[in-house]
Order: sequence, then structure tokens, then C-alpha cells
Amino acid sequence: MAKFFPLGQVMGFIFSLVLTGIAMLVYFTDMSFTTGMIVLLVTAFIQAGLQFIVFMHAGETEDKWSIYSNIFYGLGLVIMTVLGTLLILLWDM
Amino acid sequence: MKEFFAQFAIPHPSLLIYIAMASMIIGGIALVAIVTYFKLWGYLWREWITTVDHKKIGIMYLLTALLMLFRGGVDAMMLRMQLAVPDNSFLDAQHYNEVFTTHGVVMILFMAMPFITFFFNYLVPLQIGARDVAFPRLNAISFWLFFMGMGLFNLSFVIGGSPDAGWTSYFPLASNEFSTSVGTNYYMISLQIAGLGTLITGINFITTIMKMRAPGMTLFKMPMFTWSALIANLIIVFAFPVLTVALAMGTLDRLFGTQFFTMDNGGMDMLWANLFWVWGHPEVYILILPAFGLFSEIITTFARRNLYGYNSMVWSMLMISVFSFAVWTHHFFTMGQGALTNSIFSITTMAIAIPTGVKIFNWILTLYKGKIVITTPMLYALHFLPLFTLGGVTGVMLAMSAADYQYHNTMFLVAHFHNVIIPGVVYAMLGGLTFYWPKMFGFMLNEKIGKATVWVMSTGFLLAFMPMYITGLDGQARRMYTYSESTGFSLLNMVSFIGAGLMTVSFLMLVWNIWYSFKNSSRDISSDPWDARGLEWATHTPVPVYNFAIVPNLEKGSPEAFWDAKKNGVELFKGKIEDIHMPNNSGQPFIMSIFFFIAGFAMVFSMWPMAIFGLIGVLATMAVRSLEDDHGYHIHAHEVEETEKSYDKGGAK
Amino acid sequence: MGKVNNNVPLEYSTEENNLKIFGFWVFLGAEIMLFGTLFASYFTLSGRTGNGPTGAEIFEITPVLLETFILLASSFTIGLAIHAMRLGSKKATMSFMIITLLLGAAFLSVEIYEFMHYAHIGAGITVSAFTSILLTTLGTHGLHVTFGLLWGTFLVIQIAKRGLTSVTAGKTFIFSLYWHFLDVVWIFIFSFVYLKGMM
Repeated sequence: MAKFFPLGQVMGFIFSLVLTGIAMLVYFTDMSFTTGMIVLLVTAFIQAGLQFIVFMHAGETEDKWSIYSNIFYGLGLVIMTVLGTLLILLWDM
Repeated sequence: MKEFFAQFAIPHPSLLIYIAMASMIIGGIALVAIVTYFKLWGYLWREWITTVDHKKIGIMYLLTALLMLFRGGVDAMMLRMQLAVPDNSFLDAQHYNEVFTTHGVVMILFMAMPFITFFFNYLVPLQIGARDVAFPRLNAISFWLFFMGMGLFNLSFVIGGSPDAGWTSYFPLASNEFSTSVGTNYYMISLQIAGLGTLITGINFITTIMKMRAPGMTLFKMPMFTWSALIANLIIVFAFPVLTVALAMGTLDRLFGTQFFTMDNGGMDMLWANLFWVWGHPEVYILILPAFGLFSEIITTFARRNLYGYNSMVWSMLMISVFSFAVWTHHFFTMGQGALTNSIFSITTMAIAIPTGVKIFNWILTLYKGKIVITTPMLYALHFLPLFTLGGVTGVMLAMSAADYQYHNTMFLVAHFHNVIIPGVVYAMLGGLTFYWPKMFGFMLNEKIGKATVWVMSTGFLLAFMPMYITGLDGQARRMYTYSESTGFSLLNMVSFIGAGLMTVSFLMLVWNIWYSFKNSSRDISSDPWDARGLEWATHTPVPVYNFAIVPNLEKGSPEAFWDAKKNGVELFKGKIEDIHMPNNSGQPFIMSIFFFIAGFAMVFSMWPMAIFGLIGVLATMAVRSLEDDHGYHIHAHEVEETEKSYDKGGAK
Repeated sequence: MGKVNNNVPLEYSTEENNLKIFGFWVFLGAEIMLFGTLFASYFTLSGRTGNGPTGAEIFEITPVLLETFILLASSFTIGLAIHAMRLGSKKATMSFMIITLLLGAAFLSVEIYEFMHYAHIGAGITVSAFTSILLTTLGTHGLHVTFGLLWGTFLVIQIAKRGLTSVTAGKTFIFSLYWHFLDVVWIFIFSFVYLKGMM
């Protein structure tokens, strides 16, 4: 039975639960908005990275650099789009 | 019952629409009659509708693009005719709105997009030495989704009314309150369906180019058109989801009463403009990069030189692909955001002119000291260089946000974007079509008529659009259906009309050329009639279904592999002929797209049971595909050898 | 069928599968942009509540935590399904797949409850720009999960009928990518829609 529960994935799962727990502190404790946002950004991006590398095996084939560049290209464009949109429609309107 | 049929009526009918309606119906009946009379239904189904061959799918894109070029062109002529004289009453305001809206949508999304997709389909597998694209069945789905989207959009003309809020469909103008007909529903839903097809194309071609290149063809040995296709498809994959979201929100607003772009309850009409251009600006580069790729192929062939600055060409395109997502605000500098935002986007917009300029210089330096042969494709390229540069420079003028307050929403802008799109995209498409025509159909287009066409087109183009720069600076607003005599715009608008007429003549000359060459051109041409350079010319004409009998090997090759093979004796085809694995044809893509069409049409008119039926049909075809076990088929080595021998016997090589 | 390579896991053993897996990664790039656009719109509109309620007024922590832990667990179990597949155990693969789908269905039930609750307390999709974008963002994710449930069900049927072949293994691996990705999206929804809204 144990062979169906590889250590890496179990650790990954526990780690993702811990990260979710840390993110929940934002709700259950009294934090400033800035601290809260930093906590959320850090935990969310680490969780995403965890999923991509541990669970989705993004780096296991010879295509790994194409896959990573694709994801980072997309991430870069999303950040540009989100910040640009907020700049245009909220912060500088 | 009467109410049910009343919703399909055209809200603003006119004689013109009735004539068009009648001609469409008569044309449709004639088509069905011809197909039935010559017993072509089976042939159509077996050879075209169910095909998964990238070359045939490419040709279907081409036919659609040419058909839409005709429709968009008629729209353009109607616009210019209305503005030819002051206080004209040829079109009223409502019709003018509908015509400029459909002209924009048709030309960008249903003419230019399929035209470049035609080149992706036809050329990319040949240029990289592959047998087909990565996902042939998905490729058919792409085409049919696009085709159904196109059909749905054009249906608006005769059933329910055309969209009338501009090709940008800005809210609140596009809301139910101000666009009362179902026209804008058509816009939202047909673009959604066609856009889905385009997104799938993007995924397909990135995978094809990244994973299916011939052995030895590293990324930096790819032909320039394939590079441009890779980057354009990369932009497609990341830009089209934005359109998907924007259209979905617009659809929800119009059909379900959500509050995204409304004027109260927190809605923000500016969000639409923002999202539209987050997609819209990269879209411009999706169109122009493949055009650049085609010009690179044409210019190297007819300057008889290797491309100057291959690496800088590639890096400039990569830079463009990132920058194209960082300039979108320049479409609405006057919307009310602060000077900081406008300054940032002014600078990024001007910066994007730099990589584009690099490319222009590379082409000029390729021509320098080249043994230039003036052929029709080359003539398109040589006209492109100065005319496109002119359009680019006016673009930099528009990029200055402070100055843009003067240019915005005037004919100056209209002149600018036609000045980049026509000499840029349209010339590349027509030049590329002439260039690759013999590869596709086994005969050349007539050079005399071809060259005359280019000259008439350029003359017409200059007459049509140069006056708009002047009237624009003088304050003639775009999208106004008429103007008074006292404005003094009359003469220049008449010149524009004459120019547009000349452009129409040039398109008729193109059609005449196709017919004339079909009748008179020699079929006895080699597989390399232009003495060209890329791998796509290394196979037979017409191209066999498996493209290459032996997969080419490019370990010693360069981006201009075929030239190396011809002039330096580099051996491309090593080894012997083996069995070739090919995908099976399938009717599923077509049937699935029909269900999309049904669902889309029903949603336009809020006919929910029918919409749900359509969507269930879509899911059902997916389920059938999921459970299906399809392993394709093999063409055996001896069959390939027979086909190869038949090419040696004469006629086409 | 193309050439079969026996030195790699089943899902990578044919060229066709390699193409499909790579193509799906490209598709996930498009999905990143799709959800990125929804987030951009959400951040823009989240403060524009009109006459409707704000996020802090309608969000409840219990269903949200329930949804989060269910989805995290299902992401873990689909990972185990792939591991079992690589060990060659058809039975374990199917069991983990079915657990994953059940967890997915549980997630969806909680989400449907949540939506009905919002409608009930006057925060339906037509109330304000905020509720429109909130329910559209959540709904887009929910539709992805629904589609995943249908897809996964068809995969279980195929594995049951045909066993673990290069074809079913390739499809299952791609499905696992999709499912993990939905978990990633949910983490961002959890953090930047719910927690940020309740902070």
C-alpha cells in the first residue's frame, strides 16, 4: 500500500496544507492590508510553483525549457495586463 | 407565431439589403444546383469537408478569405461612395454605421485572419519538413469553428440586422439600450466561436513548430516565415483568451443583464475598451508578423541573396511579441486616464517602432548588392517598403499622446491604419499568394497582368488614403455618415472615392488574372519555378499528400536549405522510403461546428431550448471523440514509390 | 501508431502523446491568460458595488475553507493516480481517479450551495458590477471543474474497458495537468477573492 503514497507527493500535499494555513492567518489574525497582501502573494505563488513542479511534473521531459518559458511568458503578460489595467482604470483615473 | 418570425426581420431594411438578400439566396440555390448537377456532394464530403490535410484546410481558409475580401471590399466601396459628395443620401446614418462596423470586422477577423492562417497551414509543415501539423483533427476543428463564426456573422446581414456599434463595439453604445437590434449579439457570439478556432490554431502551430521540425533543423535554422508564424501563434495563444473574456462579459451584459459595462450599479464601460485593446493591439501584430515573414521569403528569393541579419530579424520579432502586449492604451489616450499612464504607453509605443525599423533596414540591406529580379511578388514587396514606412511614421506621430488629442477619431487615424494594413498585410497576402500559387495549383499567374495589378493597386491606395491624412488633420471625423459642403472636404473625398474605385479595379484584375492564367498558363513547370530558397520548394508540385517521401535532414542545412541543396550540393534527402503514417479523415469537426453554429444562432435570439440543444450536441461530439479509437492509416513504401515515379514522368516535377 | 519507446513512462511512450502533452501545456498558457484577465477585471470592479453588498458582507469562511481543502485533496489524489499509473496498477489508478472525481463533485456541490446562498441574500449576478464579476470568475472556474468531471468520467470508462495503454495513459496524464491547474486557479481565487475580500 505504501508504494502508492510516494514521499515527495505526500510532503508536497502537507506543505500545501501548511501554506493554506499560513494564508488563513490573514483572516484569523489582525494584519495590516500591506502585510496581508504580501502574505497572500507569497503563499499563493509558492503553492502554484509547488503544483507545477511536484504534481504536474513540469520539468521531467526534454521539453522542460519550452514549458517553463511558456508559463513564465504567460505569467509576465498576465502581470503586465493586471497592473496595466489597474493603472489605467483605478490608480491613474 | 407571428412574433416568433418577426424577431428575424431586418430592423432597418432598404432596397440595397433586399437586393443583397435576393442575390445571396439566388447564389446559394445556384451553388446547390451546380453541386447536385455535377454530383459533387460525395466529392465535397470526402475530399474537403472531412479532410484533415493541412494543405486542403489551408486552401479552404484561402477561399473564405477571398470571399470575405469581396464582401469587405463592397462595404468599403459603399462607404466611400456615400462620402464622395457632401450631404449624400446614398446611405442613411444607421446603414452607414452598420456598413463601417461590418467592414472592420470582416476585413480584420474574417479576411486577414484566415488569409494568414492559410499561409500557416499551407507553408509551415512544408517549411519544417513535416508530414502534417501536430493535431490534424484539431486543425479541421479550427477551420470549421472559424467558418461557422464567419457564417454566423454574415447571417446578421439578412436575419435580425447587422451590428452597428463599430468593429470595436464600445460600450455603452453596444449595450441593449443603444444597440437595440440583435446585431451586437451576433458580433459577440460569432467572434467567440471564430476566436475559439483561432486559439486552437495557435496551440496547434506552436506545438507543430516546436516539436515537429525535420532532424537537424534547430530553431535558428528555421525559415523566416516559420519564425514569424511561431511568434504570431504565441501572440494568438496569449491574446485571444482576453477577447474570449471580454466577449463573454459583453454577451452576459446583453443577454443576462449583468452589470459589467453598464452606466450604473458600479458598471464600467471603460473596462470593455481596456480589455478589447489588450487583445486588439497584439492582434495587429498577429497580422503583420506573418506578413513580414512572407516578405522575407519573397525578398531573399528575388534579390538572390541570403536574408541580411537573420538573428536580428528573430530577436526583433521576439521583442515585438512582448511589446505588443504593453502598448494597448494608445488606442484610447483621450479616455481620461492621467498623464503618467499616457506617458508610459507613449514611450512603449514609440519603442516598438525600433524593432520594426530594424526589420525594414534588414530588407533594404538584403536588396543592397542583390541581383534583383522584378516579378509580381517582388513588386508587391518593393511597393510595401516605402508605403509601409510611411504608415509606420504616421503611427509614431499618433503615439505621442498629447498630439493624439488632435488626431484622435479623425480620418488621420483611418488613413494611418489602412496605410499599415494594406501595404503591410494585404500586399504580403497577395504577393505571397502569387509567389506560392504555382506550388499549390501547378501553374503560374500571368506576370504582365500581375505587375499591372500592383501598380493600379498602389495608385488607387495612394489616391484613396493620402487625402484622408489631410482631411483628418483638418478635422474630418471618422464614422460620420456625411458632411456639409462648407467644410471644404468635398474634393479630397471625391479623390478618395476614385482611389477606392481603382483599388476595386485592381482586385478585379486579380480575379481576371486567376481566370486568364487558369485558361492559358503552361502546366509544364518545374517544382521550383522561381528559383527559390526554402524547403517548401524541395518537394513536388502539386505537393503529394505526405509532403516529403523521405523526411529531409538539415544537419548541414541553413534557413535557406533548398538553395544550399541546389547551389552547394548539400544532400537533403538521405535514407530510403519507408511506410508513412497518416491521420484518418473525420466528419466530426464539421458536425461539432454545426452544433456550435446552432447554439450560437439560438443565443443571438435568446432561444434557450435550442441553445441548450446545440451545446449538448457539442458535448456529445466531444464524448464520441473521447471514446473513439482511431489510429490513422499507413501509406506503404511501395505506394509512395509509385506516387514518386508518377511525378518523374513529365508535366509537373 | 508511431514508434513506441519503452524506457519512459507509458504516457510519454509515443510521439503522438508527447505532442499532445506539449500542446496541452501551451493550452494551459492560454488558460493562465484567461484567468489573468478575469482577475484583472475582478480587481477593477471589486470595489464597484453600486447598491449591492460588498465582498466582506457576503463572504463566509466555512464553505470557502471546505471548498479549498476538498480541492487541495483532489489535487493530491489525482497526483497519486498518475503515480499509480506509472507503477502499472490499473486498479489503484482507477480508485484514485474515482476519489478525485468524487471530491470534484463535492466541491461543486458546495459551490452550488454558495451560489444559491448569494442569490438568496440579494447578491445575484445582475445586482452590481462586483457581483457580476465575482460570479463570472467563480463560475468560469466552476464550469472548468464541471467539464473536468465529465472528461474524467469518460476516462475512467476507457481505462476500465481498455486498461492502461499508451493512449489511455496519455489522456489521463493530460487530465491530471488540467486538474492540478484548476487547483492553482482556485488558490488564487481563495487568496485574492475571498481572503483579500474578508481581510
